[in-house]
Amino acid sequence: MELDDFRIGQEPYYRAIGDEVRLFKAAYAERMPIMLKGPTGCGKTRFVEYMAYVLERPLVTVACHEDMTASDLVGRYLLDAQGTVWHDGPLTIAVRQGAICYLDEIVEARQDTTVVIHPLTDDRRVLPLEKRGELVRAHPDFQLVISYNPGYQSVLKDLKESTKQRFGAMDFGHPPTAIEAEIVAHEAKIDVAVAEKLVDIGQRSRSLKGHGLDEGASTRMLIQAGRLISHGVSIEAACQIALVLPITDDADIRGALTAAIAASI
Amino acid sequence: MVRTLSEQHQSLIASLADQPEIAGTIELVWRQARASLPAELLDDWVAACRDISVRIGPNAAMSFIRNSPSVAAAAGAEAAMALAAFAASFADIAGRNATLALFVAAPHAARRLARAEAFTEWLRVVGRIAEFAPESVSLLLDRSGRLLDSLDLRSFETWALGGIRAAENDPERRLKFFALLDTRALHALEHGADSVAFTDVERELKMFVAALWRTTPPIRVLPPADFNTPRRACFANGVIRVPQSSRGVDGQSGKDLFRATLAHVLAHLQFTGEKFALGGLKPVQVALVSLVEDARVEQLAIGRFPGLRRFWLPFHLAEASGVVTAPALMARLSRALLDPSYFDPHGWVNKGRDLFFAERVRWTDPAISRSIGGLLGNDLGQMRVQFNPRTYVVEPAYRDDHQGLWEIPAAAASAGETIYESVRFEQSKSEPADRERETSSSGPANLARLVREAVEVGVPVARYPEWDYLISRERGDWTTVLEYNPADGRAEQIDSILERYPETAYRIAALVQAAKVSRPLRVRRQSEGDRLDLEATITAAIDLRAGLTPSPNVYARLERRWRDLSVLLLIDASQSTNDLVKGIGRSVLELERDATSLLAHAMDGMGDPFAIHAFCSDTREDVHYYRLKDFDTIWGAMAKRRLAGISGRFSTRMGAALRHAGRDLVSRQSYRKLLLLISDGEPSDVDIADRRYLVEDARRAVLSLQHQGIDLFCVGLDAGGDSYLTRIFGRPNVIQLDRIERLPEKLPLLYFRLAG
Repeated sequence: MELDDFRIGQEPYYRAIGDEVRLFKAAYAERMPIMLKGPTGCGKTRFVEYMAYVLERPLVTVACHEDMTASDLVGRYLLDAQGTVWHDGPLTIAVRQGAICYLDEIVEARQDTTVVIHPLTDDRRVLPLEKRGELVRAHPDFQLVISYNPGYQSVLKDLKESTKQRFGAMDFGHPPTAIEAEIVAHEAKIDVAVAEKLVDIGQRSRSLKGHGLDEGASTRMLIQAGRLISHGVSIEAACQIALVLPITDDADIRGALTAAIAASI
Repeated sequence: MVRTLSEQHQSLIASLADQPEIAGTIELVWRQARASLPAELLDDWVAACRDISVRIGPNAAMSFIRNSPSVAAAAGAEAAMALAAFAASFADIAGRNATLALFVAAPHAARRLARAEAFTEWLRVVGRIAEFAPESVSLLLDRSGRLLDSLDLRSFETWALGGIRAAENDPERRLKFFALLDTRALHALEHGADSVAFTDVERELKMFVAALWRTTPPIRVLPPADFNTPRRACFANGVIRVPQSSRGVDGQSGKDLFRATLAHVLAHLQFTGEKFALGGLKPVQVALVSLVEDARVEQLAIGRFPGLRRFWLPFHLAEASGVVTAPALMARLSRALLDPSYFDPHGWVNKGRDLFFAERVRWTDPAISRSIGGLLGNDLGQMRVQFNPRTYVVEPAYRDDHQGLWEIPAAAASAGETIYESVRFEQSKSEPADRERETSSSGPANLARLVREAVEVGVPVARYPEWDYLISRERGDWTTVLEYNPADGRAEQIDSILERYPETAYRIAALVQAAKVSRPLRVRRQSEGDRLDLEATITAAIDLRAGLTPSPNVYARLERRWRDLSVLLLIDASQSTNDLVKGIGRSVLELERDATSLLAHAMDGMGDPFAIHAFCSDTREDVHYYRLKDFDTIWGAMAKRRLAGISGRFSTRMGAALRHAGRDLVSRQSYRKLLLLISDGEPSDVDIADRRYLVEDARRAVLSLQHQGIDLFCVGLDAGGDSYLTRIFGRPNVIQLDRIERLPEKLPLLYFRLAG
């Protein structure tokens, strides 16, 4: 089958924080469109992969960007030697074959693009392909999941009210300290004690949110730092390249973060 | 032929034969001179001594003879010769006494600067100061040793020239400044070469605090105090106060010290809790309770953030040796309580350490500080080690002054006296004094303003910095802009201008209209354009293949469709604009009014948002600013009346007016912002004698506004001020006009720039 490439072969590591797995299963049973909210790098994408694995569905992921047009989702005619051929877009593939379609960072896409998902996300569950004059009825297994980072939210980049209200939402924050340390230790293959230090450092950077940083260090960043540490890099150096330097170009914030890291270890 | 040494010796003695008092020391000096000057320069040196004796006087010569060998020894023989060469011209400007002071100050400066070039540079700086403030230069030289200890040569010059400028041609204020009686002088000094001002690192340190403790307590700077007293941070009612600047200690930078200070104070805010009651404690006990409390909160903070120990340790420099004094022992105890690798053989220090670490489990309880500190205080008293609460300064430098730890009786605090005398109440002492000084000195000025206000009421709206090219620095909050209500004239006068130049009015309107000033916009799917619209082309190709009729709209082009421009016309309304323009018989102000009316008429016809403001100035404290028309008011009878009503008075402090106008423009949401100054030329003001000063300041203001995305243009009426205006705005940005009819010829220049 065409979608075999989209199946998740191995169980992805996912450490549940609360009830989210059970809730998602219930939502999937109803094929309810789901919106995952939360800061970058807190595990939204990993969660979707994990659920696709658990539910044994293929997962079609689309990273949205601001130049994305509706055809990039739905499909378009292309030219070949014989004439024109229709080429399904990722959303159409998922709708036809019954995959979970995951639109990552949906706010990045222009608002006129996002309205193509409207007929899919109410009880019609259809996708009109205007250019082709075709109405695709969704496969019974199809589900739409989007992610949405309220941190970026600005007047210009927000979801339309009519889009928002079609989704159920699950909120992802940074995991509690102990669990985050467990995650970092597992993913980076380092001692829990070192992972706890990293999480503490991460929390130091998160308290700068609003004082100059748009967002603190994500769990993903801490794992990256942890991976460097597992190769024998010192905590300070690892935090410098995996955390301080990527997160900001502001010399003052860098200085403050470097000092805060030095104070924490 | 070089004379023999003894001949030189003889010639020196002979030249000073009328000075019997020298004879006693001449042998010694001669030996010194021979040791520090190369033989071939000795002749010149003797000649210089004689020359000084003749031109300045025997006293000066004697002082030179005594001091120049040390100068030569410290900074090389050329330095000594440079001193001699400089002395003659210096004496002419500053007088004999100042020259004596110069010779006395020279050896220290030479030792401090160590190189002949640096010493010569120092002489140049002293000479420059003497030119500006001849009466103060000997005071300055008296203090030059101390100044050079805390400032490098460059900052020394900046400091001195800054003081001269700040005194505003008032010799008395200059004297006060150089006598170091002026708070500003001290402020500037504290901020010496190797020190770091808190404001420079404030942002980073505040974020450091926020990162660690998730709190952002207000942090303020302490007023400057006596030059020789080391400052300590303090905290009260949740407000942290830190010294204005700090100098690094032993390889640690000033920033490190600030960071250690804040980390320490935050540890107090976190863990100290209730203030201690003074009870019947003796000063020494108070000092020790505070010391133990410092150690306790630091240990608790280290428990949370282990790296903090590394922030604090470098400042603990106490060694287990030296004289046993109370401050020394206390510094050693401080170190013993923080530094695990430090060993101190002294019984008292050891006892303190044992007591403190025995209570490790109870560290969270502030009461242990009180009991341990009390005990140690008693012991110290019995050891008969003197503790002087008056001179005690908390060590190490990063710790606060302990004032925030104690419940101080209100009466004692307000009187500035307290039982706990190790606490320095510099604030409560110095602040009222400062206030008093301020009010007494500004009394007459206030009065003058009151009198003026009876005639015309101005509202102070903003203070702006001013650039001083001499010291290459901006003087903060230097000028005050007051907005006044504009006087009314007759609106018909403005309308008659338009009638007088119907042709010009029409051409200007057409020019303004033709200029499309906006962000370029890509228009897609056009039937014609300068490039193919790729998407439309592909669609067309697909339509062709599919047998449909393709759309011919396959081009895209860039277009400036709208006008998106805010213009602020700023009119120079100084006294000089009343002058008649050569060959026309009309005043500059009238021409300004004509040009403004024509432009306003054109822009109003186009619907461009524009404002008309005017300014003049009467010293830096009173820059008049008139809002004739604002962006959101209409070009109607009121605006015209006001434009007709302006009159030329006072001076032209261009920089301040430009900054104030720029502030209005910056907040406009337009694609292009244009500030158009209509002036007759040279900026000036009654309190500034240096013609270049205000020109450089205005230039600085123009540059900074250009950085903020404002286009600045100047229409110069009356060609006289050309060189000043081009210096300020740059040649391409100045339009020179002698006749108003030529405005349409020149105006396209301006719009070409904007549309480009």
